[in-house]
Amino acid sequence: MILNTDSTKPIYVQIAEWLENEVIAERFKDDEKVYSQYQLADLFNINPATAAKGLTILVEEKILYKKRGLGMFVAPEAKTMILEKRRNETLTKMVKDIVLEAKRLSVTKEELIQLIHNCEEEI
Amino acid sequence: MNVIDCQKVSKDFRRTNALEDITFQLTEQKITGLIGRNGAGKTTLLKILAGLTKHRSGEVNVFGKSPYNNLMVSENSILVDDQMTFPDSLTLEEVLQSAPAFYKRWDTEFASRLFQYFKLNPKQQHSKLSKGAKATFNMIFGLSTRCELTMFDEPTNGMDEAVRSDFYRALLKDYIAHPRSILISSHHLAEIEQLLEDILLIHKGRVVLHQSLDEVKEYAVAVQGLIADVERWTVGEEIIHSKRIDDQRLYVVVKNNSKLERARIEGASIQTLAASEVCMYVTSETKGGIDDVFK
Repeated sequence: MILNTDSTKPIYVQIAEWLENEVIAERFKDDEKVYSQYQLADLFNINPATAAKGLTILVEEKILYKKRGLGMFVAPEAKTMILEKRRNETLTKMVKDIVLEAKRLSVTKEELIQLIHNCEEEI
Repeated sequence: MNVIDCQKVSKDFRRTNALEDITFQLTEQKITGLIGRNGAGKTTLLKILAGLTKHRSGEVNVFGKSPYNNLMVSENSILVDDQMTFPDSLTLEEVLQSAPAFYKRWDTEFASRLFQYFKLNPKQQHSKLSKGAKATFNMIFGLSTRCELTMFDEPTNGMDEAVRSDFYRALLKDYIAHPRSILISSHHLAEIEQLLEDILLIHKGRVVLHQSLDEVKEYAVAVQGLIADVERWTVGEEIIHSKRIDDQRLYVVVKNNSKLERARIEGASIQTLAASEVCMYVTSETKGGIDDVFK
């Protein structure tokens, strides 16, 4: 497994996102055990503390839950939570970037909306 | 528990100061990168920690003991560097066979597997090895001791690309299986970044940063744009590096702060930096870098 080490995204964030993608793709299902920090470290060739940080983010967001001495498990409804979160955070941030760039290029609101319509049709 | 505890450690060679007031602690079972430019004092610091050199002032404790001339410390620590020597009367095979007498956690099986993998000749003498083969053998020896404190000083010097990446992988896998404190020096941070938990950055004999890798990454950001804009956005901020892109635009590295979010909305181009770039800018001598020479 290869990580993007040049990315501006910290490695632990990339780990958390990779795990989320696995949950979305249902390679990890509800209440199923996910990789431990050591398995992730081995898999991605990274420090176990970095891997642990990626897991901790998901525990804090209640996407994973901890069972003492047994490991980390996928919370019920995790997939829905991730999709919801991506919609709220990722999309909002992307839209913000697009609006900023449009402003810089003096693209009007109407033109921007038209661009989105065009794009949708192409896809 | 602290594996290493340094308090105001100084060391000089004749009239030049190699280390000045070095203070830091290393907690157990972490991989820490000792980063610094050439002549920063990395080797001197490692030699003091390994008990090979004496410091001039301050206090050094390794496993709670002063490392110089201390058997307990030398039994439980190892410094792997290109100056390691082994008796010429022994072949490499015999060196490995005699190792368990000195290191109680030595793993014979692991040592011979690595030895075979890297295709070294068991009948050869250490002093006759090529630069790359010597570095490879020293690394095998260092890993196999499984010492509670394992230190590497520029371990990949002389190794080819493939051996380097094999070494980093072996180090990580063995650390996962047998956690211990590892201090690894390098002037190529980008190469070892993924393996590290913490970074200890030293410059001109002093500790500049001692933080987790992610904190180092977030320590500074680059801002670029029109000169007037960039100056307005970074006014009052600690400027680490500044460079004119052309006669209208400026590239500035500043300490990260919350005010920069405002600048981003105003159209500033703000980039995060790699840990190696942060270390490079923080330890650069002049604010403009090499370009200043050509002015």
